[in-house]
Amino acid sequence: MENLSWRPILAVDHKSVGKRFLCLALLCIVLGMVLSLAMRIHLSRQDAGLLPSVAVPAEQYQAMMLVHGSLMVFFVLVAAPQCGFGYFLLPLQIGAREMAFPFLSGLSFWMTVSSLCGIMASFLAIPAAGTGMGMTLWLFSVACFCLAMILASLNICVTVINSRAKGMTLPRLPVTVWAWLVTAILSLLIFSILLAASTLLISDRFAGTRFFSFRIASAAAHSVLWQRWFWFFAQAEVYVAMLPCFGVVTHVLAVYSRRKLWGERVAVLGLCALGLAGFCIWGEHMFASGLNPYTPLVFSMLASSLGIPALLLILCWFRTLWGATLRLDTAMLFALGFIALFLSGGISGIFMARHTSAGVGANDALVAGHFHLVMGVAATFSILAALFFWFPKIFGRRLNETLGKIHFWVTLAGVYILFMPMHWLGLLERENVLTGAGSLGHILSMTILVATTITLAAQILFFYNFFWSVWRGERSGTKNPWRATTLEWFVDSPPPHENFGGGAPVVFRGAYEFGVRLAGEDFVPQHLAPERIAKLR
Amino acid sequence: MTERSVLDDFELIIEDIGGGGRPPFDRDGGDYGDGGRRSPGASFARKYAIAIALAMVSILMFFMAVVAAFLVLRMTSAKWVEFRIPNLLWLNTAILLASSATLELARKRLNAFDEAGFKKLWMLTTALGIAFVAGQSIAWKELLAAGIHGSTTLAAGFFYVFTVAHAVHLLGGICALLFVGLRKFRTSLVTRNAAAEIASYYWHFMDGLWVFLLALLYFGK
Repeated sequence: MENLSWRPILAVDHKSVGKRFLCLALLCIVLGMVLSLAMRIHLSRQDAGLLPSVAVPAEQYQAMMLVHGSLMVFFVLVAAPQCGFGYFLLPLQIGAREMAFPFLSGLSFWMTVSSLCGIMASFLAIPAAGTGMGMTLWLFSVACFCLAMILASLNICVTVINSRAKGMTLPRLPVTVWAWLVTAILSLLIFSILLAASTLLISDRFAGTRFFSFRIASAAAHSVLWQRWFWFFAQAEVYVAMLPCFGVVTHVLAVYSRRKLWGERVAVLGLCALGLAGFCIWGEHMFASGLNPYTPLVFSMLASSLGIPALLLILCWFRTLWGATLRLDTAMLFALGFIALFLSGGISGIFMARHTSAGVGANDALVAGHFHLVMGVAATFSILAALFFWFPKIFGRRLNETLGKIHFWVTLAGVYILFMPMHWLGLLERENVLTGAGSLGHILSMTILVATTITLAAQILFFYNFFWSVWRGERSGTKNPWRATTLEWFVDSPPPHENFGGGAPVVFRGAYEFGVRLAGEDFVPQHLAPERIAKLR
Repeated sequence: MTERSVLDDFELIIEDIGGGGRPPFDRDGGDYGDGGRRSPGASFARKYAIAIALAMVSILMFFMAVVAAFLVLRMTSAKWVEFRIPNLLWLNTAILLASSATLELARKRLNAFDEAGFKKLWMLTTALGIAFVAGQSIAWKELLAAGIHGSTTLAAGFFYVFTVAHAVHLLGGICALLFVGLRKFRTSLVTRNAAAEIASYYWHFMDGLWVFLLALLYFGK
């Protein structure tokens, strides 16, 4: 029980806050999964008239979709990789004793909790609506989450810029730290935009202003104004969720392949380029809204150009893996699974980027399948890779590898059986060849429902493994079970108060010095002084 | 699992940077090399300076998003109803600009080791800031009494959003001024000079932002 650091609940040290963010994300995954299963059951019934008595009114279904999306995107995909792992590991990896502003760490967590409570309350309030109370609550909660993320981003940026250990120059930063830094900069910009949009909408609902309902030249312009702001945030938000995942996967691949990360600077450049391009392509989702005829072409080209930095990252991953003797632990399996999902989901993204096709069905199953595969599931695989990798450091115990591998294979098969037919279903929707019991559309819909159920059931295995391992898992024994080079692996597990016993390490080299023979090992830690290396040789 | 491993030879060697009951402080970043280490106080001040700079970027993004909406709706609105900006706003602007001047004079006094002169001018700056916010609230009352609400016209809606959001941010600045003016810095890692300098960044930024917003409201009406 002491591992979870529930007491004192108001502790603001980076490890407590990081663990709380991770626990919050796990809770939201469960809530989000329950909602997604309910939605699939509803859709299957709608398609074929099966499974009666579980249908929900349209407004309730919309509310479910909104809350499912909010939970998964805000509290899982953004909070877990950036604030969960970021808060816990960032000071350890850069050799700092604490985040720059511990109070802001705690404040951002409690604001996130408040936001979650508001969103769940809005879910209960929406169906009873007519009053608009549910949407107002949701808006306040989103504004609160924006503020929380702005504070968290500011904290992360200042910590990386100002609190690095002696010798921890920018080129020596682990790729994970680069990913957290780029993500924090991007978050700082885009959450401010969403906060502004939410403020005006709240003002419309409370102060009687009419920014979104005033009589303007085009009737459609009301919603377009909100959409533009929203997509300015939401398109970049994809990269806020994905960039830390890229960092984690790159890091895990290097450790398990026991190879120096190929093109480390290229990978960092790729991360920065993805962040920059992600900030500029908001119009990709506005093709159908009546933009200037030339604008979609520009956004289409920008969106397609994202393939270049993504390709650079993929090149680094494959070149690192090439010829390596892989150790296929669960963390590595999830990292490889991430690459598979990112590639297969990313291919359909190239077609989405075409301005002639992207507006055809903004809400159809093809877009849903693409989005879930490349962002939702791939990012979740990366979160799981990080959890299996850093679990011994966070809790001092290991997750069970056998259960982990079973969980991995069932989940991987489940998500492919779930989302590939969803792509197909989307194509059929666009061709208008659906509906009716016994049709191909119905068969696909039922396949998706069955795969959803199996995939979600497999997650029970993970939760069992997680909670069992926290209290009864095998003790990690050594500080550095994966024989990694970064600083966090050379302090006790779990790390002590102030991380480095009130002192500070000194860093002498980069984070991926693998394949170097030293004292019977094949790596050189970041902190090992040249004179000690000479002695060990 | 606890047998001695060769990994123990890689034991992390820690530099003592001030444990043993002394208050924690941050160290310099790695980019300064072995010889270029700064004092803990300088690092502490740098931390706040970076935080304020990033906060200003975030605030700027917030206001620019609203400014973009103002410009778009101004150009696409079928009927943009103007309203007269209260004259009091010009006086408020003069007060705010004067506060920036007194703040700089206060910092000069501080750099000249004239603590008493600094305190007087610094508190005058704070009073001018409070006077500005009070003046803004009088302007809102005037407008409301004249029947101009946020719902009356789009222009009025933007006026209220810009001025209220700016006032809220300025209140944060007033708190910072009070903190620097009233706190005893003898035991702190940050000097009063550094704290005053960091507070001045934010205060001047809010001044510049207000002048821009006023120009936008005046010329864009």
